[in-house]
Amino acid sequence: MCAVNVITRISNVLIMDRRHFLKQSSLASSLFFVPSFVKAFENSLTTSFGYKRLVIIQLSGGNDGLNTIIPFNNDDYYRNRPSIALGKNDIIKATDELGFHASLLPLKKLYDKGYLTIINNVGYPNPNRSHFRATDIWQTASGSDQNWQTGWIGRYLDEYGSKPYNAIEINDSLSLVLKGQKSNGIAVKDPYILFKTSQDPYFKNVLKYYQDEHLSEHNLGYLYKTMIAAESSAKYIFEKHKTVSNTFEYPGNAFGKQLKTTAKLINSGIETKVFYSSLDGFDTHAGQLNSQARLLKVYAESIEAFVSDLKQQGTFNDTLIITFSEFGRRVKQNAANGTDHGAASNLFIIGNQLKTPGFYNKLASLSDLDDNGDLKYNVDFRSVYATVLDKWLAVEDKTILNKSFSKLDFI
Amino acid sequence: MKQKDIQHLYWRAGFGITPNQRHLLSKKQKHQVIEQLFLESSSLTGLEVNTSELDHFTAQILIDKKSKRKEFIDKSTEKLKEFNVLWVNRLITSNETLREKMTLFWANHFVCRDQNIFHVQQYNNTLRAYALGDFGGFVKAISKEAAMLKYLNNKQNRKQKPNENFARELMELFMLGEGHYTEQDIKESARAFTGYNNNFEGEFVLRDRQHDYDFKTFFGHTGRYDGDDIIDIILKQKQCARFVCRKIFSYFVNESIDETRVEELTTIFYKDYNIENLMRHIFMSDWFYSEDHIGTKIKSPVELIVGICRTVPVQFKNTKDLLKIQSLLGQILLNPPNVAGWKGGKNWINSNTIMVRLKLPSILLANAEISIKKKGEFEDRFKKYYQKKRKNKFVSVKVDWGTFDGHFENESFNTLRTYLIIPTLSKGTNTYTETLSKSSKRDFCVQLMSLPEYQMC
Repeated sequence: MCAVNVITRISNVLIMDRRHFLKQSSLASSLFFVPSFVKAFENSLTTSFGYKRLVIIQLSGGNDGLNTIIPFNNDDYYRNRPSIALGKNDIIKATDELGFHASLLPLKKLYDKGYLTIINNVGYPNPNRSHFRATDIWQTASGSDQNWQTGWIGRYLDEYGSKPYNAIEINDSLSLVLKGQKSNGIAVKDPYILFKTSQDPYFKNVLKYYQDEHLSEHNLGYLYKTMIAAESSAKYIFEKHKTVSNTFEYPGNAFGKQLKTTAKLINSGIETKVFYSSLDGFDTHAGQLNSQARLLKVYAESIEAFVSDLKQQGTFNDTLIITFSEFGRRVKQNAANGTDHGAASNLFIIGNQLKTPGFYNKLASLSDLDDNGDLKYNVDFRSVYATVLDKWLAVEDKTILNKSFSKLDFI
Repeated sequence: MKQKDIQHLYWRAGFGITPNQRHLLSKKQKHQVIEQLFLESSSLTGLEVNTSELDHFTAQILIDKKSKRKEFIDKSTEKLKEFNVLWVNRLITSNETLREKMTLFWANHFVCRDQNIFHVQQYNNTLRAYALGDFGGFVKAISKEAAMLKYLNNKQNRKQKPNENFARELMELFMLGEGHYTEQDIKESARAFTGYNNNFEGEFVLRDRQHDYDFKTFFGHTGRYDGDDIIDIILKQKQCARFVCRKIFSYFVNESIDETRVEELTTIFYKDYNIENLMRHIFMSDWFYSEDHIGTKIKSPVELIVGICRTVPVQFKNTKDLLKIQSLLGQILLNPPNVAGWKGGKNWINSNTIMVRLKLPSILLANAEISIKKKGEFEDRFKKYYQKKRKNKFVSVKVDWGTFDGHFENESFNTLRTYLIIPTLSKGTNTYTETLSKSSKRDFCVQLMSLPEYQMC
C-alpha cells in the first residue's frame, strides 16, 4: 500500500463517518481531524461571495503607537517627549489632530483610498507589561489574570478547521496563537523546504508499510496520524504554492518575504483561512527614533506591495489584514531617548470592505493616564477578535473566545 | 531484574541506559538496582557557569548608571544561553541520573523565568538540592528565591498594597490545584508573604516595614502568620500531597491517571512529604513495570535530545545550534512558555515538531540522510566516501561514533533494536525494518531513531 493510499483511506473513513460525528460534536472534537466542521467551510463558501481570509501581523516588542500615529497638536505629547517627539514637519497629516509617521507614507496611501481603519486605545483591563505575558494574552485572548494554554486561532481550528493548513504561520515553528486543544495550525517559512523535509524517502517507506491498526491507539497512533497529516499538508501547501508565479516586487527583507509567501498562498486558492506573521524589533528602550523609523518603513513598504499584489490577483476583496502589537509604550519618554513598556495602543485593519475607513475612534487623553503613566484602553482587543470572527469569518465568536464581547462596527 | 524493566526504570528515572550498564544491572535483584539508582543520586553537584566577566558589577553601579544596567542584562542573557547548554550537557553526562531527572521535573512544577544569571543559577541549584528532599522545605526555599520573588511579583507585595500573584500560584500551581481554596484564602495568605524581598546577591531579605505582622485567618486558623506558616498550614491538607502525587504519576508513570494508585501514593507522601521515599515506593512497586505504562510516554524535546546524545555522543560546536533545536522542538530550557509550564504529552506534537523530531537524529548524526538501502543491495563505496567527506551542513557537531561502536560491537542488530525502541514496533514498520540492509549498525541506529516509535519511552 502506498502512502497516498493510506491517506486516502483514512480520509475516506473520516468522510464516511462525518454525518455520524456531526450528531455527536463532543466525539467529533475529540478527533484529530475534526472532520465535522468541513461543513462549516462549505457553509461559509456557499453563503458568502468569496473565500474570506484573515491575515494577522504582530509587531513584536511593543510598538510605540504614539510615534506611529502622532497627536501632533497635543501639548502633552510634546511635553512628555522633549527629545523624541515628532514635529509637524516630520509627519504626514491625516486629520487636524493625528498624522502618520513619515515612514508610513505607503500606509497613508491606503488610508486615502479608504482601505485602512485605525482603532485607537486598544487594550484590556489590568494590562501586563511583560513581552511574554502580554503576547500570551493577545495570542490566547485571555484576561490578564488568566493563563490559557490554547490560542484563539487554535480554538477556531478546534471548532471549524479540518486540516493543519487551515491556519498557517509564516515561520519555522508554531506560536501559541495557532495551537488549539485538539487541532494545530502549521508553520511554513518556505513551502519548498517543508515539502522536501516531509518527502524524505525513508519516511515515505515507513508510511508505505504502515498499517492503520495503531490509528486508534493513544500516543503512538497520534504520532503516526500527525506524521501523515504533516506529510499531506506539506505536499498540499507546496503544490498549491508552485501554481502561482509571483512577479511582484517586494522589499528584500525577511518581512517582505513573509508577505510575499502569504500572497502566493492566498493567490493559489489554498484552503487557508488565517495567516500569521510577525515583525520583531519594536522594543525601543533606547535610541528609538532611528530604529522605529526603519521598522515602520519595512512594515509599510511590505504591506503596500502585499495589497497591490492581492489587488492585481483579485484576492484583496476577500482578505482582511490586522496589525497589532502586544502593548504600546509609556507616554513619557525615558532618559535614553527611548520609551518603556506601556499599555493600550492603536491597531490597524486593512481591507476594502471597511465600514468606517479612517479613524474608528478618538485617541485617549494624554493627561488622564493610568497609574503607570500609560494610555487607558477603551476598546478591548477581544471585541476586535469577536467582530472579526463574527462578521468576517462568520463563526460563533463566543465559543472561541469563551465569553461574549461587544462587537465593533468596522466591517 | 529483567532487562526490559531496567530499561523502563532508567528511561523514566533518567534518560536511558547504556547496553553495558543494562547488562550489569540485569544480574542484580530489583531492590539492589533501585538502591543503586538512589545511591548514585545521593551526592549533589551544583551547576555553575563561569561568571567572572560579570563579577565587577555591583548593585550601586547598576543603580547609578543606566548604561551599565543594559550591559549587565546583555551579558547576563549571553550567560543564560551558556547555562542552558551546560544544563543539557549535564543531563547527557551526569551519573546523578534521578536527581537530574527530578530537577527537570521540578523546574516545570515551580516554573520560573528570569534574566539575571546569578539568580537563575541559584534557583536552578535550589531545585537540584531539594529534588529528592523534603517537599515542605522545598516550597519554603522556593518562596524566598530571588528569581521567584521577581517572576510572581512578590517583591511588589507590600503591607500597604498587597500583590496576590505569588499567593495565588502557590496554591493553584505549586501546592493544591484549582478549586481547593477560596479568594479569601488568597487575600489572607498574600498578606503573610508581604515584605519578602532579596538583595543584589540574590539572598532573601525580609523588609520589616513592608511586612504585615497583623493576624491572618487562613484555612480556619488565625495567627500572626508569615509565609512559612502559610506553607505549613497548606501541607496539612491531604489535597496537597494528592496534587503533587498526581503530577508525579502523570510525569513518571502515565498521563492517564490511575486514581487508586494516586491515592496509594498520597497516603505515603502525606506521612512525611519526603520526595525520595515517594519515588522509591513508585519504582519498587510492581505496577510501575506493567505493560500499560512501558513505552507509552511521548518524550519531551529535552528527553529526545539527551537520549540521542547518550547513545551517540554529540558535541555541539555552536551554542546557538542547540538552542535552535530546542526552539524548533518547542522546549527551550529556562524559557518556559508561562507560569503553568510545558503541558507535555501530545502537546509536544504538531505538524512541524513531528517532522523536526523524526529528522533530528539524521540531522545530528548523518547530515540529514537516512539510508534506505535494502537487504543485499550493493554498497556504493564511491558515494559513501563522498558522503563521509561532506561536512554536516545543518549543524556544526562532532559526532563520537567510536563510543557507539564500542557499546554495540558485540551486540546483534536485534539487540540494538530492542535497546532503542521501547514500545512494540507497529506491524508494518516492523516489516519495513526487516527489509533494510543490516550492513552498518550506525545506519541502523539512525534508521531506528527516525521512527515514530523512538519518540516514545
